[in-house]
Amino acid sequence: MESKDVVIIGGGITGLSTAYYLAKEGLRNIVVIEKSYLGSGSTGRCGTGIRQQFTTREHIILMRESVKLWKEWENNLPKSVHFRQGGYLWLLKESEMDAYREYVRLQNILGVNSRIIGKDDVKLIVPDINTEGIAGASWCPSDGNAYPFDTIDALRIALKRFGILIRQFEEVKEIKVKNGIIQQVVTDKETFNTHFVVDAAGFGARKVARMVGVDLPLKLYRHQIAVSEPVKVFLEPMVVKGELYFTQTYRGRIIGGTDLNEQPTESLSSTDEFLPQFANEILSVLPTISSLNVMRQWAGFYVVTPDHHPILGGTDLPGFLLGVGFSGHGFMLGPVVGKLLATYIMHGTMYLPEANNLDLRRFRSGCLIQEKAVIG
Amino acid sequence: MNKKGAGMREIKSHPILHFDRGGQVEFSFEGKRITAYQSETVAMALYRNGINVFSESSKLHRPRGMFCAIGKCSSCMMRVNGVPNVRTCILPVRSNMQVERQHGLGEKPSGVVHFLSPVEREETVTIIGGGPAGLSAAIVFAENGVKPLVIEQNPLLGGQLIKQTHKFFGSKNEGAGIRGIKIAKEMIQKVENLGIPTLARSSAFGFYPETDTLGVFKENQYIKVHSNYYLFATGAAERMIPFEGNDLPGVFGAGAAQTMMNIFGIKPGNRVLMVGAGNVGLIISYQLLQAGVEVAGVVEAAPRIGGYFVHAAKLRRFGVPILTSTTIKRAIGVARVEKAVTVSLDDKFNEIPNSEKEWGIDTVCLSTGLIPSVTLLAQAGCKMKYSPYLSGYVPIRNKNLMTTKENIFIAGDVSGVEEASTAILEGQLAAYSILKKMGKDAALQIDETRSELEKLRSGPFGTKILKGLEEVQYE
Ligand SMILES: Cc1cc2nc3c(=O)[nH]c(=O)nc-3n(C[C@H](O)[C@H](O)[C@H](O)COP(=O)(O)OP(=O)(O)OC[C@H]3O[C@@H](n4cnc5c(N)ncnc54)[C@H](O)[C@@H]3O)c2cc1C
Ligand SMILES: Cc1cc2nc3c(=O)[nH]c(=O)nc-3n(C[C@H](O)[C@H](O)[C@H](O)COP(=O)(O)OP(=O)(O)OC[C@H]3O[C@@H](n4cnc5c(N)ncnc54)[C@H](O)[C@@H]3O)c2cc1C
Ligand code: FES
Repeated sequence: MESKDVVIIGGGITGLSTAYYLAKEGLRNIVVIEKSYLGSGSTGRCGTGIRQQFTTREHIILMRESVKLWKEWENNLPKSVHFRQGGYLWLLKESEMDAYREYVRLQNILGVNSRIIGKDDVKLIVPDINTEGIAGASWCPSDGNAYPFDTIDALRIALKRFGILIRQFEEVKEIKVKNGIIQQVVTDKETFNTHFVVDAAGFGARKVARMVGVDLPLKLYRHQIAVSEPVKVFLEPMVVKGELYFTQTYRGRIIGGTDLNEQPTESLSSTDEFLPQFANEILSVLPTISSLNVMRQWAGFYVVTPDHHPILGGTDLPGFLLGVGFSGHGFMLGPVVGKLLATYIMHGTMYLPEANNLDLRRFRSGCLIQEKAVIG
Repeated sequence: MNKKGAGMREIKSHPILHFDRGGQVEFSFEGKRITAYQSETVAMALYRNGINVFSESSKLHRPRGMFCAIGKCSSCMMRVNGVPNVRTCILPVRSNMQVERQHGLGEKPSGVVHFLSPVEREETVTIIGGGPAGLSAAIVFAENGVKPLVIEQNPLLGGQLIKQTHKFFGSKNEGAGIRGIKIAKEMIQKVENLGIPTLARSSAFGFYPETDTLGVFKENQYIKVHSNYYLFATGAAERMIPFEGNDLPGVFGAGAAQTMMNIFGIKPGNRVLMVGAGNVGLIISYQLLQAGVEVAGVVEAAPRIGGYFVHAAKLRRFGVPILTSTTIKRAIGVARVEKAVTVSLDDKFNEIPNSEKEWGIDTVCLSTGLIPSVTLLAQAGCKMKYSPYLSGYVPIRNKNLMTTKENIFIAGDVSGVEEASTAILEGQLAAYSILKKMGKDAALQIDETRSELEKLRSGPFGTKILKGLEEVQYE
């Protein structure tokens, strides 16, 4: 039986990023436990987008910091994560312009360089866009994207160099608590002695928290997504219009999705409705890609909280930490969330004060912070 | 016409086949005029005119040519009329097409294609795959009053059979002694006479288990098929093996060589090294000789020849050496294969030092086995199991070919790579099983077909299949 300073449950970007920042703080006797393979959860299924164009102080500040960290990752991790600041081009109808002007004002106050642009400027950024029915766009050139599999792999290699233990194909089954203190984490293969557990289990986070009697207000929504065959990169920004989003990866594939307005579900099957709807929506915005073939479609979970903000930090049970409920934004938040959780473990508080507004207590006190800019 | 190219690669006379090539059309390849036959695909026309390199690979910019010739490998992608990534091996020629090589990834498309609105179809039975298994099932259905829908991705029905110019083995009832092409012709004729609806040039690309819907794409239309029963008869695809230079133009799947020769009347090369001495490798080597191509030799990694004795004997009569315990190590060439190196193997399949042999050839054909085409079945949620005896992952099924899903059945090579004779019987068995599920009286036919299958598998070549079936049959 091994003893570990921290046991991290979940090998997605949240778990690996937390381990990475703990290791950088000098804590190396830790373990990441992943029930399948690294990135097999939502991280490996996501849309690659990284944006600061949000509508709340908390999201904007966390994402401004995360973009800074994405740059550091690009420069410092053992391999490129293909972070690219191609911008987010958020196409708007006339009726949406006023609201987004307000959002941009808040973003600017908090130091994000977004701005509202007109139709003609949209054409300058992506010449092929069909601007019919569009009044303008909210544009932030420092937003961007990164490649999930390279990110996971870069973190894996970095952790390996720090000598950190990663267990794959091993599932956490039980967490033993005695006298209000965590004692052990039991997997289907082994038992670890520990007093610190990070729940970074994504779609499995609710189940993990229940093991220690903590109830999380999380719902699973299936979201579908597709990629095309590759062509030379011609589209660097992420384009958003209503629920539709798409960009092109550095490998040349158009990647994107839209929302089918489904009820919560536990199923990860693709459905026959998605491709025709997505194709119609994307071709109405970018008709010139009509002859590209779809290569793959798949589905993943948005793990959604009542106010579309994540739940971060400690709980009533000492040593039980949460990095859960990202509501569709957990990839972009990965770097900052890992650093926040690591500082919480090392220093007892998350290093950005805004993050403390995002802990579990807000649901008890009713201090919810609604995010209005949710895509897909 | 480019006289030299055409003269070099066109098969002028053939002991069995007569090529009806149709009239001629012209198209443009990077500014040059290319004369093609109306019945050809773009890749075949280019190849017949002596063009080997169709594109450059996206990372290392290595030359790429045709490999599978049936739209499965992406090796032949070119830019056609402003559309990138077009698989030219399955694109029929049209006059005045603009065809260009791709250097690395293709440029974004320049025109806009308009699609027909999606349609939905309600069917009783849908058969995916128009090879011998699918067609024999379709015939049984139609003869029992049920019109199935047959979906086939190629322009032609018949599956593998339409390339088999040799006389078949197997039982009399399933066409032994008759050439594969003739069996195919008869089945296709029957399907037409019975008025069975078929969708050709239509790819089944996805199965959506929540609604049991099959997604099909036909040219420029999305077709959603909702069917009470599905019979998957998707056959098998060729296995690729790793060796240095395996991406050079001039390295072909053996099936591609067969497609070129027996459907389009084009010689794949002048001098061929065949890799693999199973029935497929032996038969295609012989067909190469018939087409006037020199076969330098056949190499086989196993210590024994896998195919039937008669096929090997035929080759030996022509003086073609068959080297067992030998494999290909390297294909060498600049824009096309110019040489190959083989190496001898010990009984543990390790290379024996200093046993390399160099071959002066311009073509390498790989006939290193087939893998059942099961992806749609996996998507559908049918439970799968790996069986080396059946050549890969295959669906678990009962004796009547029902998978672990009650509305999904399988038949032919997709259930385990075997032969056309058994594929035909399996197609019939699956059809009777579905008819029985639908409440028709088919118990007798099921028993009869099953005992026919047992008879066919009772010979020495059946033992492997029987072992495999033990691993994957339930009940
Ligand atoms: C279609 C789609 C598009 C998206 N697009 C974007 C986007 O553009 N930008 C963005 O920022 N976000 C996007 N997201 C959201 C993003 O993918 C997630 O928020 C993020 O990946 C969450 O990361 P995570 O590490 O917290 O969770 P996950 O990646 O889900 O990792 C959790 C891991 O925990 C493991 N686990 C669960 N239970 C246990 C257990 N008991 N024991 C051991 N291991 C366990 C799981 O196997 C899983 O690998 C998208 C999501 C989807 C589905
Ligand atoms: C060189 C060679 C020699 C042979 N000699 C003999 C012999 O002498 N005797 C003998 O009995 N057998 C022989 N065989 C084997 C025989 O040809 C096969 O076993 C038989 O064709 C299998 O039939 P099938 O219907 O299962 O598959 P196939 O004939 O492979 O047909 C499958 C069909 O499904 C279609 N399809 C696949 N996926 C999709 C999709 N997603 N959407 C739409 N359509 C799809 C394919 O295009 C194909 O037409 C030989 C094979 C070869 C290659
Ligand atoms: S796809 Fe055309 S050669 Fe394989």
